[in-house]
Amino acid sequence: MMSKAGKLSKALAYIIAFIVFCFYIFPFILIVINSFKSNGEILTNPFALPESWRFSHFKEVFVRMNFPVTFKNSLIITVFSTLLILLFSSMAAYHLVRKPTKYNKIFFSILVASMVIPFQSLMIPLIHIYGAKFRLIHQMPIPLLIGFYIGFGSSLSIFIFHGFIKSIPYEIEEAARIDGCNTLQTYFFVVLPLLKPITVTVAVINILWIWNDYLLPSLVLNTESVFTMPIKMKVFFGTYMNDWELLIPAILITILPIYIFYFLCQKYVISGVIQGSIK
Amino acid sequence: MVNRKRKILDWGNSILFLGPTTFFFVITVIIPFIYGIYLTFHSMSTPTDPLVFSGVENYVQAINDTRFWESLWITIKFVFATTILINIVGFCLAYLVTLVIERAKVQNFLRSAYFTPNLIGGLVLGFIWQFVFVQILPAIGDFTGIKWLELGWLGDPVMAFWALVIVTVWQQSGYMMIIFIAGLISIPKDLMEAATIDGAGPLKRLRYVILPLMVPSFVVTIFLSLRNAFMIYDLNLSLTDGGPYNSTLMATMHVVNKAFIEYDYGTGQAEAIVLFIIVAVITGLQVYFSKKKEIEA
Amino acid sequence: MKRFIYFLFVSVFVLVLVGCGGQKETADEGGTGDSGDSQVKIVITNGKGEISEQFNEAAKTFMEAYPDIEVEVHSKAVGDTLNPYDKLTASGVTVTIAMFEPYEAMTKYKDIALDLSDEKWNEETSDALTDEEGRVIGFPFAIEGMGLVYNEDVVKNAVGDDFDPFAINTRDRLIELLDKIKESGIEHPVAYQTEAWSVGNHYSSLFLNQEGDPAAMLDKLANGSIKLIENEVWNGYYDTLDLLISEEYNAYGERPLGQYYDSAHVAVGNGESAILFNGNWAFDSLQALEGTNFGFMPVPVDNNPDNPLNNKIAVGPTQVLFINKNATPEEQEAAKTFLNWLVYEEAGQDFLVNKAQIISAFKNNPYTVTNPLGVAISEAIANGQTMPFSTNYINAGEWSTIVGPEVQKYIAGEITREDLAAFFEDYFKNQ
Repeated sequence: MMSKAGKLSKALAYIIAFIVFCFYIFPFILIVINSFKSNGEILTNPFALPESWRFSHFKEVFVRMNFPVTFKNSLIITVFSTLLILLFSSMAAYHLVRKPTKYNKIFFSILVASMVIPFQSLMIPLIHIYGAKFRLIHQMPIPLLIGFYIGFGSSLSIFIFHGFIKSIPYEIEEAARIDGCNTLQTYFFVVLPLLKPITVTVAVINILWIWNDYLLPSLVLNTESVFTMPIKMKVFFGTYMNDWELLIPAILITILPIYIFYFLCQKYVISGVIQGSIK
Repeated sequence: MVNRKRKILDWGNSILFLGPTTFFFVITVIIPFIYGIYLTFHSMSTPTDPLVFSGVENYVQAINDTRFWESLWITIKFVFATTILINIVGFCLAYLVTLVIERAKVQNFLRSAYFTPNLIGGLVLGFIWQFVFVQILPAIGDFTGIKWLELGWLGDPVMAFWALVIVTVWQQSGYMMIIFIAGLISIPKDLMEAATIDGAGPLKRLRYVILPLMVPSFVVTIFLSLRNAFMIYDLNLSLTDGGPYNSTLMATMHVVNKAFIEYDYGTGQAEAIVLFIIVAVITGLQVYFSKKKEIEA
Repeated sequence: MKRFIYFLFVSVFVLVLVGCGGQKETADEGGTGDSGDSQVKIVITNGKGEISEQFNEAAKTFMEAYPDIEVEVHSKAVGDTLNPYDKLTASGVTVTIAMFEPYEAMTKYKDIALDLSDEKWNEETSDALTDEEGRVIGFPFAIEGMGLVYNEDVVKNAVGDDFDPFAINTRDRLIELLDKIKESGIEHPVAYQTEAWSVGNHYSSLFLNQEGDPAAMLDKLANGSIKLIENEVWNGYYDTLDLLISEEYNAYGERPLGQYYDSAHVAVGNGESAILFNGNWAFDSLQALEGTNFGFMPVPVDNNPDNPLNNKIAVGPTQVLFINKNATPEEQEAAKTFLNWLVYEEAGQDFLVNKAQIISAFKNNPYTVTNPLGVAISEAIANGQTMPFSTNYINAGEWSTIVGPEVQKYIAGEITREDLAAFFEDYFKNQ
């Protein structure tokens, strides 16, 4: 059926897609290749394959990053922040969609508007309030950081949930109401299950951000025992010395969990957004 | 009586559903933001100094800080360039892996791959790309004899600027692509078929069927790319560090330098607030006008 | 789907538990800190991020020797906006020992300094930081120096084994040397990175040494009594800079600016190039092969071999330690014990010089650093071939964000020498 020109353009499309593909994944390949190299090899030609596949740097990084503790910190912070963001944001978004009162509309506008506040304008105030005044930075850094993430993460998450929930027909809920469910029950047993695809998307967006974040934890986490992976990784960025042979394996160890996670649920990520936008 | 009970129930629900988010949002964003504005009316040379009221002195300093306005102008150019390119590239990618390439497996694979630049933080990406602009491209230039590639990109103000643009577009287009895919998929199939039957070629379909229906997606992507471009910091720091001679120094980095390197916390904080106002006005106008357009379309 | 909901509920429940547990834990930590009456905790900030691990090790060693003192070290990391002292102070912690660069120590932080004039270690050093009244307020932690770093193998290959770096004491001799290196087959003898902090804070402050005391020179600049465009030394340094960045000699001559830190250092390290301008901290960046030797040459400013500037390299204390006045007397005593440990005890001396590769400011330290650039600095100190580390006299923050970029404009040909002179005069007058 397909004409010759059509076939040709199809082939062209695949070629373009492949070139773009190479262009988009090369940093990861670069990190993998260079994590087996010595400093000299990395700096003279980062694109060459390693002369020998050394694992010694991984071992050293593993020890020097105090990996089990650091990984656990990152995991706790990321998992709990994300779960709470998902729960609180979806509930808030649901309420904002179903009860579009004047105040709720204003609140939603403020949430969206807050996305344009530069983080740099909050750094000094955050330290002033939670460091000097309430000393929470000193007493409970991890719960405080999780709280901060919920605060900073809620606007974008609510925004996305809001768009999705708008597309859910109210009739579905009505049935539950008639069966005698109160709002909370309706939310948990009827609405929440429907949110699954978009929930995965919001989860991925938040996990990527929180796992890789540096600036906020660098303000809040002061002692070794609570450091996260990106903060520990920065140890390898010396002041006048970039110790690439340790830094790159450190990067790989830091981002590998994210890659694994992403490829395990990429199917849901993409389909989540796609379903999320069908209004 | 029933009415009153209902009202209490409504209030209870509001607190239950909005309460937690509101609480965290207020303590991490709203209070610090307002406190941040309060701070701009005080002078401090360290972030721990007792506050001394100084009126609008910090704002006067900010307005007279020519380097701040220069950095803002550079930022605006950057915002302009990246917003346009991210949306074009993101849309093309989405079009490619949705309407052109139609094998589901290949589609999924490519979509996931194009999204991967988002998996690595900006600081690290900047260092990786430095290799490309300082060593790899000049090597390619030497090899092929292409003159303008031979010298490191980051030493020339114009090329360093475009280096930042390229990396930003590369990183964010995958993210926007996902949003565009969502939009493309929701276009009713029969509409496309009808257009084809009416004899509309691919370009005509794009112009008269697809693009008008994509306006809501563009509202979101343009908002996000505007915002991200104004907020750029990590990549700026690690790729060009503002150089050469501050020609790629964006506003957020200037604000940080002002406060934390030159130890002028008051002025830095005031400039951050000015930056916020500018971003808020621009994105506000964008959303307002594109929403209007959305309704018209 | 029900499982999903349960999962959420369970997670929240666990979170609440963890949250409470976390609080309890920290409370316990505070408890142990207070409960032992004899236990004193001191908090140290370390501004040299590259030795953070050695510093942590040193703290452990120290605590073994002094079990009643607990040491907590906070190091600065790249990308940190707040320095560790400000950050900790803001979060309600009293830093006991703080590491500062001399300029910020003398301006922003001088009010927190405890008077250390009566400490015994003053006998062993002449580099302690003193305030206007002559009181000792800063413990000299690290001595560092800067000049023209050269790869000895490459240079000797070009001019023979009897090469003496301090014989390159005129600009013409430097040109002669560069030409000989070129003849020996090195296409670009210089690989200079020209980052803002390097051409600004380091290179462009060198001229402050022209009358001996940089502080006196700064006073004259502030009252506008020096016209820089007529100042021979100031011009001389930029004549030499022109040479270092010229297309003829510099690997990046066609476009001297542009994030070349790594590639310049590796080029000099592996012998592709021979010379760059930097300090002894650059050694690790050179990524040199084992056995390659490196050293420093003075930066020649004119053709007079008797000009002291042509025969000396800039060396001085670049990091000083303060004891915080606001710490409790017990903490201050413990801090003094730590400083004495650094000076007098074998383990402290070993940490400073052998482990951290820092040039000690103290005569009694028996060790010498092994990294070749450190060795070169030590030798220059021993031979009296040093002049003040001019960067200590300037506002490092402003020089890296305001002055450095202006010098870069000069390098890129965006502004003339006259423009640069006018800029400097303005800058100093507005101080």
